[in-house]
Amino acid sequence: MIELKNVERSYKTGHTETWVLRRVNLTIRPWEFITIMGPSGAGKSSLLNVLAMLDDQWKGEFDFDGEAVHRMNRKQRADLARRRIGMVFQSYHLLDDLTVAENIDLPLSYKDIPRAERQSLVADTLDRFQIVGKKDLYPHQLSGGQQQLVGIARAMIHTPALLLADEPTGNLQSKQAKEIMEMFRQLNEEGTTIVQVTHSEANAAYGTRIIELRDGWIYSDTAGEVNNTAAEVGQ
Amino acid sequence: MNGLIQDVKFALRQLRKAPGFTITAILTLALGIGANAAIFTLVHAVLLKNLPVVDPKMLVRVGDNDECCINGGAAYKNDYTLFSYDLYTHLRDQIPEFEQLAAMQAGIGYGSLTTRRSNDSSLPKSLRSEMVSGNYFQVFGLTPYAGRLLTPADDVAGAPPGVVMSYQTWQRDYGLDPTVVGSTFLLNTNPVTVVGITPPGFYGDRMTDTPPDFYIPMAMEPQLGPAHPTTILHRSDRSWIYLIGRIKPGTELPSLQAKMGGVLRGFLAQLPTFQRKGMEQNLAQSHVVLVPAGAGIENMQQNTGKGLRLLFIVSALVLLIACANIANLVLVRGMARRAETSIRMALGAQRRRLIRQMLTESVLLSCLGGLAGLVVAYGGTRVLLNMAFPDATDLPIQATPSTVVLAFAFGLSLLTGLIFGIAPAWVTSHSEPAEALRGSNRTTQDRSGWLQRSLVILQAALSLVLLVGAGLMAKSLSNLEGQNFGVKTENRFVAHFSPENAAYKQNQLQSLYDRITQDLHALPGVERVSLSMYTPLEGNNWSEGVQFQGRAEPKVGDEMGASWLRASPEFFDIVGHHVLRGRGITEQDTATSTPIAVVNEAFVKKFFSNGKDPIGAHFGVSGMQSVGDFEIVGVVSDVKYNNVREHTRAMYFRPLLQMAHTKPEDDTRSMYASAIMLQTKGSIDDLESQVRRTLANIDPNLTVSRYDTFQGQIRGQFNQERLIARLTLMFGALALVLASVGLYGVTAYSVARRTPEIGVRMALGANRGSVIAMVLREALMQAGIGLAIGVPVTWICTRFVQSQLYGVAGHDLVVLGGAVLILAGAAFAAGLIPAQRAASTDPVQALRME
Repeated sequence: MIELKNVERSYKTGHTETWVLRRVNLTIRPWEFITIMGPSGAGKSSLLNVLAMLDDQWKGEFDFDGEAVHRMNRKQRADLARRRIGMVFQSYHLLDDLTVAENIDLPLSYKDIPRAERQSLVADTLDRFQIVGKKDLYPHQLSGGQQQLVGIARAMIHTPALLLADEPTGNLQSKQAKEIMEMFRQLNEEGTTIVQVTHSEANAAYGTRIIELRDGWIYSDTAGEVNNTAAEVGQ
Repeated sequence: MNGLIQDVKFALRQLRKAPGFTITAILTLALGIGANAAIFTLVHAVLLKNLPVVDPKMLVRVGDNDECCINGGAAYKNDYTLFSYDLYTHLRDQIPEFEQLAAMQAGIGYGSLTTRRSNDSSLPKSLRSEMVSGNYFQVFGLTPYAGRLLTPADDVAGAPPGVVMSYQTWQRDYGLDPTVVGSTFLLNTNPVTVVGITPPGFYGDRMTDTPPDFYIPMAMEPQLGPAHPTTILHRSDRSWIYLIGRIKPGTELPSLQAKMGGVLRGFLAQLPTFQRKGMEQNLAQSHVVLVPAGAGIENMQQNTGKGLRLLFIVSALVLLIACANIANLVLVRGMARRAETSIRMALGAQRRRLIRQMLTESVLLSCLGGLAGLVVAYGGTRVLLNMAFPDATDLPIQATPSTVVLAFAFGLSLLTGLIFGIAPAWVTSHSEPAEALRGSNRTTQDRSGWLQRSLVILQAALSLVLLVGAGLMAKSLSNLEGQNFGVKTENRFVAHFSPENAAYKQNQLQSLYDRITQDLHALPGVERVSLSMYTPLEGNNWSEGVQFQGRAEPKVGDEMGASWLRASPEFFDIVGHHVLRGRGITEQDTATSTPIAVVNEAFVKKFFSNGKDPIGAHFGVSGMQSVGDFEIVGVVSDVKYNNVREHTRAMYFRPLLQMAHTKPEDDTRSMYASAIMLQTKGSIDDLESQVRRTLANIDPNLTVSRYDTFQGQIRGQFNQERLIARLTLMFGALALVLASVGLYGVTAYSVARRTPEIGVRMALGANRGSVIAMVLREALMQAGIGLAIGVPVTWICTRFVQSQLYGVAGHDLVVLGGAVLILAGAAFAAGLIPAQRAASTDPVQALRME
């Protein structure tokens, strides 16, 4: 589904260049539930942003279902992401002046979908995530877990092939975190490929594969193949 | 006190810390306060200032309108403002409630005097004079700067001829030479003694851009009066003077007014005019209105008052927009300083104390703006005065800010500071400290948002009002200037002179006119030369009631008035009158040939509406016995001579020197031409000095009092309208810029604050276009609400300027539509920049901000 070859990302601050991703080679197959782990500053979120196509300052090759993302311009990448990818954020990023239903509708509002169809999709999603009763509430009227549920519903409304989650339970209590992870597992079982970034071993256990990053390098991958990186990291 | 000093110190430090904000705010305030102070300088000088005389509150004017200059017959609406000299003395002697009642000449013309100091060999100058009664200076309680002022003893027939010179003239033309006092001057060739100099601040009995240079006793009217070489001093049927008196303490004006009305009617009843049948009602309704005269004769106030008040309101609106703008800036700063405010509150600061601190900062800022505004006001006032009074010689209005203007600017600065400071101070001091200290706010809206948007909406609405006002004024001016006056102005010039001032007798006029025409024709490039009593659109008008041969005597109240002038043969061609029927005035129309008249189309329309042929008809102006005096020999096209806002008046034109058979004594004054018109074959270098030289060669006393192109003379008619149109346009543009900057500021602030939200939206699929559309929608929504409020407000406000407009309806949809489009365009431009910035948001960065 996804093929990254020698993907690199750095930031320039003054005369120094800080590398956040180094020669990342990664293959993600459909139905996988991948967990990216690593200490702070390892490049987890940077990798996720590359996968989400929010960042376009990286170098290397990136194929998404056979489409060469590295050859696309910003607009084409945005179009592809809009069609195929959903994002869940640690701090939910719900818009406080929109209701639950309106927040869920947000990704659809940026697509050329007729209003009636959108309403129907929103209704289905509310139903699917069992938050119909909360559709007219505003985010500040919800608990953290409920807000993240809405965030996941929003990410899933256009049935993306890939769901990216950046510390999805980072702000939640363990009970709520468990519910959210169960939801991810269910989505994965229904066919959605998931890539999550987390510090939590418990959350990682929901996944099928764990990739560990250190200083921008892939340090380990439970799928097995890490191309010469460990040696280089050790240098 | 210590707290205040501490607040001021802290405020200064805060302003120093944010130089961009401080400079922007001070510049905005300087423009707003400066514009207001400049307009106020004019308003104060013209509308509010009293004459520099003793106890101006006790001065009362008899009469309340701006009629001028020599009238015959009953007064307009029987409301007496102009008086004959005999009526003046009658009132003076019959009304003991006045301590003194003074008379002064109504019309002070340009160059009414040809002046030369007797021991001076240089050429005479054209100066202005005003005839006054002997007690004139006593009424004002003035003391001379040098010599003495006039007394009643100077104002009797046979008294040694003595005049008073104004301080300004003494300074300007004679370098404060003390020997001027007591020396002999030749005024219109008559030797007179300058007995004294007026006090320096005194500029006469009225605000004017050309105050008198000499004050002359009325007893000298036969030699130096406005009707010279004839006299109107003792003609009870000629009204030509204004009256101002000093009332005795305790006098009730209403009863005095009623009493004066009675005395007036008693006098008028003796006059032949009021003994005619049908004049009973006029006599019964004849009255005077007494008005306070602390500011003197308020003709200029009446003429310019509406315009000045309008400008004052407009500049106040601009300041209000500026306040709204700065309030927004302060609000944004306040939001940025929320953490500081919260810390202060957490440390125990009271809200009142915080509000005081913030208000101190606002007021300090506005005072700094006020100081800078004074510089703008000084420059602005100079520009305004030049625009409003381009021909002024000794305008008694100073651009330097007076104490009153300084006080006004200071008061305005304080008020401004409070207006733009109070709301932001309130909002900032009422933020939730806990939330502010947390540093991040999940909500996409904040407490100040509604206030900021309201201020932008207010600015948009006010700007629309100003833009529409500017549009209406500009269109009105364009209509006024662009109307068909019926004239030709290319290569045409007008010079004013005065043969009566050079002491020409009636029998010398023919040869003088011949010589002038001949010598000016001889100048290279001069194609045509004409002499006339006056010219189109110079502000002069002579009119008479006419009676026609073969028709019944007009009844009292019949509209029989027609304007008229005398002119030489080439006048019609120069001015642009086309001879439509019959003939124009020719060289054959001499003093001895049959008196003829050429009439204009409006005359034919008014008096020959029955389709009768005007050619060959006879009419006169001195009653039914005069109906055979003039034979109509031609009809010329209409040309506007007087009021540019009204239809062309009925007019007739007579040769320069033909005299009416009836009452020839009333027909001699008009033989003295006062205008020369020239048509050239192109531009001629230094034509003015050639004309002056030519006249001086004929007679050194033939001075040119005014010289202008014909086009320039016509343009001069619209000085006030041009001033108002330009200023409203300027203020409208300023309002538009301020409103746009305001909208830009609020939108930019909103974008900056919403960066995380925009990042989320982009992460969820929003593309550049949708982000731009979202930001623009918000900006245009505010402008739209402003317009929605502004349109009805404008609709109401335009009613108040309707009377100032020409050929434009107050509710002009084109102007309104244009203003709406301009504002919408400006709002679009103001919103586009932050919108594009929003669309360039890097979602990764934006999300990191959260």
